[in-house]
Amino acid sequence: MKRAVSRDFVGARVVDPTLDLDAIRTIVVRNGVIAALRDDAPVAADPEVERVDCAGMVLCPGFIDPHVHLREPGDAHKETLASGLAAAAAGGFTAVAAMPNTRPAIDDAASIRRIARDAAAAGRVRTYVIGAVTRGRDGTTIAELRSMASAGAVAFSDDGSSTASLKALYNAALSIADLPQPFLSHCEDRSFGDGLMHDGAVADLLGVTASPSIAETAIAARDALVARATGKAWHLCHVSAAETIDVIRWAQGHGVRLTAEVTPHHLLCTDQALLGYDARMRVNPPLRSESDAAAMRRAVADGIITIFASDHAPHTTEEKEPPLSHACAGFSGLETAIGATFHALPDVALAVMVANFSTNVAALLGVAGGTLKVGSPADITGLYLDRPWTVEPHRFKSLGRVTPFAGMKFAVQPALAVVGGEIVV
Amino acid sequence: MTRTRHLLDLDGADRSTIERFVARAAEFKRGVPSAARLLHGRIVVGMFFEASTRTALSFAAAAFRLGAHWLDFKTESSSLGKGESLADTMRTVRAIGADAVVVRHSESGFAHALAPHFGGSIINAGDGCHAHPTQGLLDAFTLQEEFATLDGRRLTISGDIKHSRVARSSARASSLLGAHVTLCAPPSLLPRDRPAWGFAAASSDLDAELPSSDALMLLRVQKERIDAAGSPPSSDLASGFGLDARRYALLPAHAIIMHPGPVNRGVEIAQAFVTDPRSRIERQVENGTFTRMAVLEACIGGPS
Repeated sequence: MKRAVSRDFVGARVVDPTLDLDAIRTIVVRNGVIAALRDDAPVAADPEVERVDCAGMVLCPGFIDPHVHLREPGDAHKETLASGLAAAAAGGFTAVAAMPNTRPAIDDAASIRRIARDAAAAGRVRTYVIGAVTRGRDGTTIAELRSMASAGAVAFSDDGSSTASLKALYNAALSIADLPQPFLSHCEDRSFGDGLMHDGAVADLLGVTASPSIAETAIAARDALVARATGKAWHLCHVSAAETIDVIRWAQGHGVRLTAEVTPHHLLCTDQALLGYDARMRVNPPLRSESDAAAMRRAVADGIITIFASDHAPHTTEEKEPPLSHACAGFSGLETAIGATFHALPDVALAVMVANFSTNVAALLGVAGGTLKVGSPADITGLYLDRPWTVEPHRFKSLGRVTPFAGMKFAVQPALAVVGGEIVV
Repeated sequence: MTRTRHLLDLDGADRSTIERFVARAAEFKRGVPSAARLLHGRIVVGMFFEASTRTALSFAAAAFRLGAHWLDFKTESSSLGKGESLADTMRTVRAIGADAVVVRHSESGFAHALAPHFGGSIINAGDGCHAHPTQGLLDAFTLQEEFATLDGRRLTISGDIKHSRVARSSARASSLLGAHVTLCAPPSLLPRDRPAWGFAAASSDLDAELPSSDALMLLRVQKERIDAAGSPPSSDLASGFGLDARRYALLPAHAIIMHPGPVNRGVEIAQAFVTDPRSRIERQVENGTFTRMAVLEACIGGPS
């Protein structure tokens, strides 16, 4: 057993939606676990206990990013486990869930164990591993889901594309209907896979092959129906089209166990960013219209979207160069997610923001954390709510430096990431 | 004429820019003394990643008439295919001494991708479905030659608008000169905003547009490029948006017929009308060379 971790985090405003708490508290951590939340600072200094002054900060249950691409194995030039986890810590996250669309895909129990072990050695941010639904993400051959679940997989997803075969998806879900692991859907009909941007007025102007909203919405509807038919817990990744919100609303209204996430870029950016053929702005699903982005913000305010995800998808700067068809899709997102998401949603209550970054993610993945309840692991995220900072990609810990937010100024800044009582940032 | 660095598209152009190009093309057509010395010693490189006979020849002829040298960049055997980056290729082409690169590519935005990496001028000879600016200018020139002014004139462009770089550039150039442009296509092949692209009318009923058209521009049915799941078949485009004898009779007597070429006879335009007295198809080709002379001069003319 490692050295016992005992610290008092003193002077912060503590916000925890699971405790209905928003007040100045001292978070008392003993042996890596939350031991108490006290409304006074302990005076008798115990030499074994480190006192951490958190005046001016908001402390919350540790933020968990349910959707990151750590690129190992196969693309260590884009990101390594070490650089990705350093980025997560710098971004204020205490845990991440790694998507399985690596090369090769994470599609068997041995791979789940290996990634979990390698990640634990590479960084202190907790890494949960998501397994592929189909073998090699081929869309048709069901992977060894039950074995992966036993090996620790927290969820299943063919992210990067939709599971092509309805038959495979339906039977995959049924085959582990007795297990808690949810399915996470990347919604994009593959017949529109040649689309380089959102099919809207900007694509009309640019003459670019494009993918319309229905490419997402139709698969969202399909997968919501699979969730209803199988009773499986289901989650829609990176929702981007206004019409998809109607699908989620319908499913939630009919008792389907369906949640959804949104990324900072789909809250804040639009297809206007592609004017001038800026290949760096290529992402899947694509940046859509202003009315779509507004619909995403409203869906968070309305409680239809309850989870935030960065879809951290790092690439080298060269891989993001024009022409558009050659540019890789995706942004480096971990180090801007908190700033950008708060920036996009200034009117959403702080407790809701914290739940969407933490509690709801822990519930989705069935992992510890998401609360500061006594006895929980001491995973804590600290924020400054009003410490304006400018996004400077060259300072990223991530190897991926391409972000739609370069040069933007955000008020909310991550201040602290504590994992099991250890200060990782 | 004012120098311009690149000609990538007409998207940000204003009326006076179009007027200057058209006026200079008209001067070249009337004859400019010592035109053959205007670009003496300049090197123009043609980079045609997509097959082109007419546009490449037209540019080469324009360069020749201005005294410039035309070199062909062999795109099929180029090191671009061997992993050399666009930036490296363009730096090499510049180092060799090229003043301008005339580029055609199947991807929209390709010319824009080259521009930041090339110290000389990039002239777009067609990028995917986006822009074909010299075609837009030569069409505006041809229309102005016909009608003296485009103010109040009605140009109807018919065919696969969505996938047409000619439609985008010709509609814009003519509109900037005052023409009222109507785009005719099936709803799925029309821009979704109204006005279309911010300035044009749109219709799916060509018959209804013909009686008020001063000019009808037919687009080539790109059989080789049609995505069978993305567009109706060419037979639908031909029957709904092509020119046959019945539609010809609906045009006013003064209306002219245009086509960017090469023509699919009997598809988007019936055989008889290609060489009809009201056809300006050959005139368009002729004017193309003068227009490209004006463009080359604007980009790389004057003291270097």
